[in-house]
Amino acid sequence: MSPYDLLPRFKAQYDANNQEFSISGVIRPQAIDELGPSLALLRDAIGRVRGVLYINVRRLTQMNNAAFHAFSRIIIDACRALPDLKFVVITSSVVGWTSRKFGRLSGIEPNITVEEYDSEFYPGQGFLEEGGFVPILRTQTKLTWRHERTILPRHGMSPGIVMADICCGIGDFAVLVQKEFQPSRIVALDHSISSLDYARRVMREFDIRGIEYTYGDASEMLLDEAQFDLVTCRHSLQIFNRPELILKELYRICKPGGRVYITNEKNSHCLGEPRAESIRWTYNEVAKLFAHFEMDVELGPKSRRYLIEAGFEDIRVETFMVTNMDGDPQDFADVIVAWADVYAGDMASRRGDGPEFVARFRQGFQDHIFAALHPKGYAGWPIWVASGRRPQ
Amino acid sequence: MLMGSVRNEPAGEPTFEPMIQIDMEIKAFVSAWKHCDYVSTYMARMISQNRSDSVRHSNLFSSAFNELLEVAFRTRHTDGELACRVSRHGATDRIELTIPCVPEERQFYQEAVSHVAGFEARERYLNSVSGDLAPSREVVLLELAVDYNATLSVEEAESDAIKLVVDLPLEGLQH
Ligand SMILES: C[S@@+](CC[C@H](N)C(=O)[O-])C[C@H]1O[C@@H](n2cnc3c(N)ncnc32)[C@H](O)[C@@H]1O
Repeated sequence: MSPYDLLPRFKAQYDANNQEFSISGVIRPQAIDELGPSLALLRDAIGRVRGVLYINVRRLTQMNNAAFHAFSRIIIDACRALPDLKFVVITSSVVGWTSRKFGRLSGIEPNITVEEYDSEFYPGQGFLEEGGFVPILRTQTKLTWRHERTILPRHGMSPGIVMADICCGIGDFAVLVQKEFQPSRIVALDHSISSLDYARRVMREFDIRGIEYTYGDASEMLLDEAQFDLVTCRHSLQIFNRPELILKELYRICKPGGRVYITNEKNSHCLGEPRAESIRWTYNEVAKLFAHFEMDVELGPKSRRYLIEAGFEDIRVETFMVTNMDGDPQDFADVIVAWADVYAGDMASRRGDGPEFVARFRQGFQDHIFAALHPKGYAGWPIWVASGRRPQ
Repeated sequence: MLMGSVRNEPAGEPTFEPMIQIDMEIKAFVSAWKHCDYVSTYMARMISQNRSDSVRHSNLFSSAFNELLEVAFRTRHTDGELACRVSRHGATDRIELTIPCVPEERQFYQEAVSHVAGFEARERYLNSVSGDLAPSREVVLLELAVDYNATLSVEEAESDAIKLVVDLPLEGLQH
């Protein structure tokens, strides 16, 4: 047998607490006997559950018809034998064929429903995937790039490498990297269709080559293991309620010896003079507001711990401060305007904040803008950069 | 591996640009099941690079192509060459699979393809999913039409072979 045959390419599991049977990986057997233990596990699960059995195929990347038939038959038979039992098949919008193929099952047995798991990856999803964030991201990247272009080479960036930018947003970073460092290939992934459409339009209009935009879920990507020299994930770990799951995926797709590069904030450390007090109060509140939606915008200094716990070595951490003195202070002010719009607008109202709070909350942003545009003022937004190497 | 040469299309047919071709002794191909997976994964990667979403396109293409290769794997003819060729016209990728086969199989393919084109294709497919038998070659071809919007046709190839032509409009299946 070659190592290929010995490598388990798929996994079937049953989680009794959640009444969930899950299959993942690549399942392309020649004969059904190869699936024996997995099919037995499914039969066994059916025998144990009450009410509903969830069939999770979100991480199933390939399954041939032979295997599909074998699993489906067990489920269909169970529907006929146990009319009280319902099945909910959970597919992923990312793996194109699963919803179509499994979707047929509900046409055969009414007790089978198929749900495409899509939105609601994390509680704050809505705010970040809708259009409102696009102008923020655009200006933010313009400001951070001034710093990152000199920082990146210390974290594994160099010409000719193969890299991935996960949670790429509207793709500005990928484009800037492409121009400045000329990696041989960039795969840029995000879960916002509108952002990707925008990114692809920019690529076409400016005739940019070498970037492949792909729709995906950072917590379970279709990308193969160990294929990138550098994996970047900017300003995004902090928006997931379980950043360690994303890091695990970043680790998986990174080559041994390659690096994973993350940037994050610590919002309560945004600062300004004059009017320091009001500014500080507001940014403390920003951190609390995000925490309410289970996002940790204080993650920056925790990067080292996260990277160590994910198994990385040779960890490097540095910080930089985006300030009103970096270039045109109006750019800095524009970012604050955009933050105020979303944070003191949509997010505050969804949390149910009253007008008094919102007024004071907004005032801090006003003061930050005031500091940024003041001829003797100083305004800052600190960013934590961290990277780790995947062991050989 | 050789890159296919440009073929002259009859007037009126859209021109499919050749992208990649792999030829293999059928003996060698059927010597290991994993060849289906290897070839489908490899070719999917190669031809998806310049699709608007290469990663998802490659996953879909590999999924459909692997089924075709598994069909070819079951040939009863043990001589000759398996030729896989992929060409492209706009959003459609065309797979041409030349499969050595015995005369009965040739007839089987012709019938199967006519069933795929029939309006009851979907129903036939659904019946097979709830049926007892492991999916037949015909069912596999039906599924390509039902789930991937594929159109299939057969062309006569040289002696003891059949050419299966499968058009996959995968770009349209994406988001
Ligand atoms: C704060 S933005 C950062 C974007 C970009 N890296 C930048 O710095 O401009 C977070 C991004 O994560 C994306 N995202 C959210 N959930 C995702 C998921 N499950 N998989 C992939 N991307 C996701 C959002 O669509 C959004 O573009």
